[in-house]
Amino acid sequence: MIQRIHLGHLLRETVASPYRNLVTRPTGAAIRNRIQEAIAGSDCPTALLDFSGIELLDFSCADEVVAKLLLSGEERDGRFVVLGGLREDQHEAIEHVLTHHRLAVAAVAPGDQDDGPRLLGWVTPDARAAFTWVCARGAGRAGELAAALGWALARAEETLAALALRRLVRADDEGYHPLPIA
Amino acid sequence: MTRVIEVPATFDDRSFEQFAAGFGSWPPEEKVLVDARGAQWASPFGLLAMLTAGQALAEARRDRPLFTVPTSDDVKRYWARAGFFKYAAELFELHGKIPRVAASGPSDVLLDVTPVRATEDVHEVVEKISQGASRILHGELGLEMKATLRFSMALSEACQNIVEHAGTSGWVAVQAYTFRRRLGRRVVVIAVSDAGIGFRRSLESTHAKRFGERWGDGAALEAALIQGVSRFRDPGRGQGLAFIKRFLDQWNGKISIRSGTARLAIVPPWDEDVPLGEHLPFFPGAQVQIIIPAQDAEAR
Repeated sequence: MIQRIHLGHLLRETVASPYRNLVTRPTGAAIRNRIQEAIAGSDCPTALLDFSGIELLDFSCADEVVAKLLLSGEERDGRFVVLGGLREDQHEAIEHVLTHHRLAVAAVAPGDQDDGPRLLGWVTPDARAAFTWVCARGAGRAGELAAALGWALARAEETLAALALRRLVRADDEGYHPLPIA
Repeated sequence: MTRVIEVPATFDDRSFEQFAAGFGSWPPEEKVLVDARGAQWASPFGLLAMLTAGQALAEARRDRPLFTVPTSDDVKRYWARAGFFKYAAELFELHGKIPRVAASGPSDVLLDVTPVRATEDVHEVVEKISQGASRILHGELGLEMKATLRFSMALSEACQNIVEHAGTSGWVAVQAYTFRRRLGRRVVVIAVSDAGIGFRRSLESTHAKRFGERWGDGAALEAALIQGVSRFRDPGRGQGLAFIKRFLDQWNGKISIRSGTARLAIVPPWDEDVPLGEHLPFFPGAQVQIIIPAQDAEAR
């Protein structure tokens, strides 16, 4: 189950004007609070933040909405966050602020759900490779990743555990799974 | 006694120093008369400098300054259409006939003189600019379409600096014109100005110690523009100016910031400006200018 949160709707409700531009820190902080309320009121394990109704996203707002939401991991009560509907410039702004904080998030491009999510922000090459492998395969264990990429088992275990800790893949007794996005 | 401050005939960021020097020690004790009768042209930076001076005098509780409007009908009309007199009338006692024309008339004015007092104003600025930015930046200057959105992001970040750091309100204006002498090409110029506390005072409590005796207006500008520091301890701060620099580097643009007695510029190859100017005449607040030139055919 996935909870889709339309940022365009939240923006119009929050600033009480027909704006489509997500700009300024106070606006970003207000939107982040609304997102946290929505997540807290849902049982869905994954929240997809849908940017398709947003025109411009500036750095200050990207920092307030996305980076600070990820930094407030405990307040998300362990929920996964995925971004969707991003345009190139929005993608760039979020990539920049997340890299600045050494954070990362999964994102799906509009109409790209079948291709699986991509990572935005700061991740090691190993983490990116492991993430791609998990998404392509659907699920897997560290031993399988190590065999597929020619890594030592410890390297695969460490990389997958780090991805799970950062809420970029889902871990259970059967191994590691991509985040549910549909 | 009245202190007469002559507006330079061509009033831009370069001749600004002449204007600032006219005030002497700040705030001047005498009543001020800003004499614009001989003005032939003013950039957005020049227009905002005059309003900022008026605002700073009002906030320093000085007598309402006088302002004599340009003699040239063309200049008066242009300033009126850029929205200058609408706000000048609130800050100065105007002398001279002002043409009755609506603001936002000229097609090369992307954003007429607009006050920035609160977050809501930044939203308004971004909404307004998005309507004309594409036509000028893509259509006239040959920048890629994606540059239009980045331009709006840069404008948003520059305006937010007023709301977040100045401690008072400010102004923004955006205009396209031909930079004949320096570049020989069309440019878009963003000017943002406030009469607030300036970069040095904004950063003093958190960063002065690190600079020791070097601390001053110039060091504060370096800290903000080159090192990307902010007065807030929040590690996410300071990214706005960093983005603006990156955006300008990509499009061969220029940024200059003047605050207090210093001025710092990131100078592109087409310009011969001095990167850092210190010990300049004091002027209140902070004045930012961003210039984006038309791309030459090879760069397109």
